[in-house]
Amino acid sequence: MPKLSTTPTRRSLVIGGTALLAMPAVITNPARAATQLRVRTPGGSFDEIKRRTVYEPFLKETGIEIVPVPSTVGKLLAMYKAGQVEIDCIDTGNDANLMLEEAGALVPIDYGAFRYTKLEDIDPSLKLPYQVGSFVYAFVLCYRTDVFKPGSEPKSWAEFWDTQAFPGPRTLAGIESGAPNLEIALLADGVAMDKVYPVDIERALKSMGRIKPSVPKFWDTGALSAQMMADKEAVLGVLWNTRAQASIDGGAPLGIQWNQNQVLVQSYAIPKGAKAPEAALKFIDYSISEDVQKRWLAEYKAIPVNTKVYPHTSKLLLDPATGTPWTVSKGFKNDINWWSANRTKVSRAWSNWVL
Amino acid sequence: MGRDRTWLLLLPALGLLALLFLGPLAWFLARTLFVETAPAEVPALFVDVLTARSMQVAALTTLWVSVLVTLATLVIGYPIAFYLANRRGWRAALVVFCVIVPYFTSVIVRTYALTVVLGRSGLINELLGASGLVGAPLALLYNIFAIVVGMAYVLLPYMVLTLYATMKAIDPSLLRAGRALGASPLYLFRRVYFPLSVPGVVSGSLIVLILALGFFITPALIGGPGDVTVAMLIERAVEILIDWPSAAVMSVVLLTATLILFAIYARVTDLRRMMGA
Amino acid sequence: MIGRGATVPGAVGLARPHERAAASISAPAGKALELQGLTKIYGSETVVDRFDTRIQAGEFFSLLGPSGSGKTTTLMMVAGFAAIDAGRLLVDGVDLAAVPPERRGFGMVFQNYAIFPHMDMFENVAFPLRARGMPKALVRERVAAALDLVQLGHLSDRYARQLSGGQQQRVAIARAIVFQPPVVLMDEPLGALDKNLRYDLQVEIKEIQRRLGMTVLYVTHDQEEAMNLSDRVAIMSRGRVEQIGAPRDVYERPANAFTARFLGEANLLPGAVVTSCPGRVAFQLRDGTVLHADDPSTRTAGTEGELFVRPEKLTLHPLADPPRDGVNRLSGTVRRASFLGSVVRYAVETGSGALVTADAPNVAAHHHPELGERVALAWSPADTVILPPDAA
Repeated sequence: MPKLSTTPTRRSLVIGGTALLAMPAVITNPARAATQLRVRTPGGSFDEIKRRTVYEPFLKETGIEIVPVPSTVGKLLAMYKAGQVEIDCIDTGNDANLMLEEAGALVPIDYGAFRYTKLEDIDPSLKLPYQVGSFVYAFVLCYRTDVFKPGSEPKSWAEFWDTQAFPGPRTLAGIESGAPNLEIALLADGVAMDKVYPVDIERALKSMGRIKPSVPKFWDTGALSAQMMADKEAVLGVLWNTRAQASIDGGAPLGIQWNQNQVLVQSYAIPKGAKAPEAALKFIDYSISEDVQKRWLAEYKAIPVNTKVYPHTSKLLLDPATGTPWTVSKGFKNDINWWSANRTKVSRAWSNWVL
Repeated sequence: MGRDRTWLLLLPALGLLALLFLGPLAWFLARTLFVETAPAEVPALFVDVLTARSMQVAALTTLWVSVLVTLATLVIGYPIAFYLANRRGWRAALVVFCVIVPYFTSVIVRTYALTVVLGRSGLINELLGASGLVGAPLALLYNIFAIVVGMAYVLLPYMVLTLYATMKAIDPSLLRAGRALGASPLYLFRRVYFPLSVPGVVSGSLIVLILALGFFITPALIGGPGDVTVAMLIERAVEILIDWPSAAVMSVVLLTATLILFAIYARVTDLRRMMGA
Repeated sequence: MIGRGATVPGAVGLARPHERAAASISAPAGKALELQGLTKIYGSETVVDRFDTRIQAGEFFSLLGPSGSGKTTTLMMVAGFAAIDAGRLLVDGVDLAAVPPERRGFGMVFQNYAIFPHMDMFENVAFPLRARGMPKALVRERVAAALDLVQLGHLSDRYARQLSGGQQQRVAIARAIVFQPPVVLMDEPLGALDKNLRYDLQVEIKEIQRRLGMTVLYVTHDQEEAMNLSDRVAIMSRGRVEQIGAPRDVYERPANAFTARFLGEANLLPGAVVTSCPGRVAFQLRDGTVLHADDPSTRTAGTEGELFVRPEKLTLHPLADPPRDGVNRLSGTVRRASFLGSVVRYAVETGSGALVTADAPNVAAHHHPELGERVALAWSPADTVILPPDAA
């Protein structure tokens, strides 16, 4: 998840909000029980499922209680800068963790201390010095099944861009989400999946400009993307498959088309100044182990990072043609390093383009 | 006469303000502008941020939206305040209730509620569609119109209450005198009532304008792709670009604009009189 | 002259301001105002009960009564701010019941001045003229004349906050008369002013009213003010008109105990009529004393009632002084003496135990008894009135 928060509760009048970022500098926290681990999470239904399938078994296993805490990159950074880190473990998008890593706010993951997880089971591209993957998901093409019968939906981003053949409002990730869908705009313009990076920003925005008249709003939070689809403010959208699936499970008439999906990663990291780094490491180790991933991701429809669990992955996430997850058969990987280096440039270009 | 020491009563409030607002704000600005940025680079930073097209457009958007919201609350709020100031009984109580109650609801909830009303398949479009007045749904959401409606809805109580206080203080015998002396109700309104309510119009407008300048939630949630306010740019700089120095510069600009307006407001309403000195 | 008051066209340079003003505001005679059974009911309470009178053109008519007596409500019905529940209101024979206040054309003055705070005095006075769409030049002339009339021409560019209460009320009066209304309504206009100023303004109001021949309906709870100003006074109590008459008549010959008491100190001694022949009534107090009153009406012997006499009508004498013929006389003991300046007020306990009040002018020639001294009280039957028993 490119952006830490999935709910807009962090929002407030910005002057006050900016000032409040610095709150930890002023208020010191009282000592906490050693058996509690404060984990930054996206909250909501994500936490509900994870509590049943991960947090509670973890408490039984280790006596450590997981306390989910909402936070944003800005707030985490403020904590770090103020020297008042209130969080022991961060569960967020790998791009956000990369920002924190580059700000020097993380400690390295001590893979040698892992007890629950066999390291060779974990996708090597997700075992990084400062963060380790938690699950994999993707930007997918989502459509209203009451507008486009399954099978007659757009099959590629080029078709998604074709507002003649597939009329109706669309929604895509905008700059406020942290990473607008530039890669997808390039794919729509005919760029091959393996030639997307480095992104030609100008070309991407030009392509985006062609669909812009059909976009009433670019979404900033996953919640908004799902709501727009559910309320029919958009009949086609670029959504996180996890969000789209949650809506479908909730009864919304939505379908998912996996062609040309952009593969995203949720990951764990431990902040510098964490009060219980060992417990945090134990929690990370535990939650990506084979058994736990199996149990958890049977309910939460995302692709495991533990390759041993692939066979147990929900059928919805598997390409019947290959038997592997759609992200493997039809996807291309999001390049967080490119984004980290170019986000400011994208923001400026976007601002000029959007007006 | 002894020295007036009633200001001591404000100490708890001032303390809280210093602790929760001024302290963190000073910390944030000092850290980003003086610690993380070399002193020599600060002027260039200001120039860089202020000359960026995105900032200039956002500033204009913010001002334009704030002015529209102020006008909207004034046009809607004036008759409401007039009604409240001149009527008693359960109907007035009901109107007060309707104006005040949303005030106690979260802004987010209220703004989301508006999407239900303004959306393509929202209440208004359903009604218009059912009545056959329009063929395709109107684009009421995700544009300046939606922002103005949403913000006006949130800020209306400030306008109504400010106007109400002023109107309530208008001596009813002046209106009687005016009528007795031959003024029609309309003439009386134009020459007596409205001029006497102008201080409330000015204060209410300034309050709404000040609050509107810093508004973030509503434009972010129900604005269109191009409707970016300064507050949204600050949020983006803090949360997405992790460019705190730029955020600090924009905050300083917004805060300065707000303080200038507040100074005018204080002048207009005469704080001393407000505090009963 | 300062300000806009100086621009009166045709003003004679040497003339004194108020003379010039009187010349400029031509005085159309006021109009007659007729109240026929005027009634106001709030819920189950009748706050004004069948008010009947005809106020003559050019007459100064006051409504006098304590608070809650209905006098202001009566004025509000006349002004048009309170609906008339029964009865009729006629100006020169035309019924006004359905006419809104702004179309009745009355001038009006309020207790709290009701000066528009956002307009200077010139604009305040010009207000009724502008509301009527009068041409600018004429407005200037009329306003200057009206301000001169109240001797405030030099303050025309001031605002209310720069003026004293008395000055504001004079402007309010100018504003009420500037458009030459047929009737001017005044609702306790001097109620907020202090005593000396009140008297000065009474003189001024009376002067202007007489000069312009205005019909004035005036509300007050101050009986001296009402008596000083009015041609006739209506005394009200609990919505009812107790008595209407010229000030001297209602003061000297009240119709009942309420009027007697409300207009000033009154001695009211209960008893019954003994004999009555035209012009003279013999009245016996409870202790057997018989007193006389000049009374044009014939009364049945045995009728219960009260004998009324004002304290200033009584003279105090040493008990040894011989009684004189044709003069009422009571004896008693001085219980209290209050020094009031122009008079000394004595409370004398008479044989029946009742306290009788007597005012002795503060002059050396008069007898001023000590406390406890036995004295004789004497007064003329011409100053005596027999009233029906106090119903209250």
